[in-house]
Amino acid sequence: MDWTLLGQQIANGVVNGMNYVLISTGLTLVFGVLRVINFAHGEFYMLGAFLTYFAMSTLGIGYLPAVLVATVAVGALGILVNRLFFWPLRKEHEFTVLLSSLGLALLVTHGAELGFGHDPKYLNSPFTDDILEVGSIVLTQQRVLIFAAAVLVLAATYAAIRWTTFGRMMRATAQNPEGAALTGVDIRFVHTITFVLACGLAGLAGALVGPVAMIFPTVGSWAVLKGFIVVILGGLGSVPGALVGGLTLGVVEALAGGYVSLGFMEAIGYAIIILVLLWRPQGLFGSAAR
Amino acid sequence: MMRKALPFAAALVLALLPLGTNSTYLHHVMVLWMLYALLALSLNVIIGYLGELSFGHAAFFGLGAYASAILTMQTGLPVWLGLIAAGLVAGLFGFVIGYVSLRIVGPQFAILTLGFGSIIYTVTNYWDDLTRGPMGINNIPPLAVWGYGPLGEARDTYFVVLACVLAFAYACHALMRSRTGRAFLAVRENAPLAASLGIDVFRTKLLGFVAATVVAGIAGGLYAHYLRVITPELMSLQYMAALIIMVVVGGRGTVVGPILGALIYVVLLEVLRAFGPLRLIVFAALLTGSVIFVPHGLVSLWRPWRRRVDPAIRPELAP
Repeated sequence: MDWTLLGQQIANGVVNGMNYVLISTGLTLVFGVLRVINFAHGEFYMLGAFLTYFAMSTLGIGYLPAVLVATVAVGALGILVNRLFFWPLRKEHEFTVLLSSLGLALLVTHGAELGFGHDPKYLNSPFTDDILEVGSIVLTQQRVLIFAAAVLVLAATYAAIRWTTFGRMMRATAQNPEGAALTGVDIRFVHTITFVLACGLAGLAGALVGPVAMIFPTVGSWAVLKGFIVVILGGLGSVPGALVGGLTLGVVEALAGGYVSLGFMEAIGYAIIILVLLWRPQGLFGSAAR
Repeated sequence: MMRKALPFAAALVLALLPLGTNSTYLHHVMVLWMLYALLALSLNVIIGYLGELSFGHAAFFGLGAYASAILTMQTGLPVWLGLIAAGLVAGLFGFVIGYVSLRIVGPQFAILTLGFGSIIYTVTNYWDDLTRGPMGINNIPPLAVWGYGPLGEARDTYFVVLACVLAFAYACHALMRSRTGRAFLAVRENAPLAASLGIDVFRTKLLGFVAATVVAGIAGGLYAHYLRVITPELMSLQYMAALIIMVVVGGRGTVVGPILGALIYVVLLEVLRAFGPLRLIVFAALLTGSVIFVPHGLVSLWRPWRRRVDPAIRPELAP
């Protein structure tokens, strides 16, 4: 057994997992508050990466300011998306909302293919070439940045949901929308901010991961599939579930990719879900749905 | 009297349709329409009658296509036996997958079926020895009918697939008037209440799910022997979405809806070729618009008429 290799695989898995957590927290928040599965969530990840790329090339700013611009821009897009695609359908059947988000995903992907071209693009970051050594494990600074930024942002998000007035409004809406509305919670405002948060987190994930992967318009469907695995694993609507689910998926995938086969790595993610759901149908941290 | 004659008149029109033109291209479009109609009708059993959204249906279509293609090519099985095998293989997978995932309802079920569909897609893509991977299988033997030989022309295939569609459409219609069909509706509208009335909810759902996957497998077999080329793309996310679009845009829970939805999908994709690269954007916009503005499907636009025709089949109740 090569322990250094194992440690390296686990470290890579944890970084990838943290990225999955960043993607799926938004998905799980939107589900928790609106009871909606957002198929278009991966598209915001894709937009985050592309906006960072264009902010750097057209505005001529550095990588970190570009990440900030992209995150804020994608978050702001959340207002529009909620207004046009989700708020008007809130009383419709869940299929209708699911399909509306699927339509939005197709619109954004095909629009991006037309606007940005099919060719993969490379996002330059000053941190991709420098490395950081911890013992015998080597990580690029970009990966350390992904991990650190994710921990920071997720901690802030969790604290906001837990301890602020807005967080309390959000949790009230998640538990009982009518009841929350009766006590004076502005449901529409809560929905909007939830979307801004969710889109911003997905956009940030795209902006951070862009430099370590190629970016192309259909990358969103990859991101949303990972997000689905994670939220089902952890339990839909649960933020701690997204954390545990994301890290588990990242590590298991890295180990499977390193020791079994890269090809079947994708299938392994789903195989874990099935095993977990056979044991706990509602996911690790979820409460029974319906 | 008028009302009872209407389905027969519609069937007659469909049977005469390809005789109206000599264009092979139009015949080809008609065959695609019928293949998708068969598939959409089978998915409608899950979406419309059971009230669950399955994102894995294209995988059963692909399983049927691959099963029939591989069996007929490697063992020299006659094509009609290949089609039966396609139905059996898809049904077997449907049983296992349904058994695991039907215990879970709502969005989780949708994502779980998406997961199963993705596993089947991934395995098909990587199992080179059996499926030839992304290159796909070509030179699949064509459909053949006893005493007629291989069906070379699209028009002949049209009649075969139309017969399948009409038979299955009738089966759906008959099902919804039977005791089992009423059990389906009871499970869809209120599962706990149905259980309290002595209906085995899980078994009812599994029955519907397996029946739907068997038909999807047969549709896949027909597709493989008609086009004679298949690739794993049959099971891609895009097809899974397209199938759901057909059922929902046409009108879920009805017999006419999925057939209409399949027609709209096929015709729209052909007509939109004129838009060039904008095609898929226009398509997505039309889909989104129709879901937002006509959530119960196009069939609901003439609901007053439909209610008079078929009181047993109602649009889904609002949750």
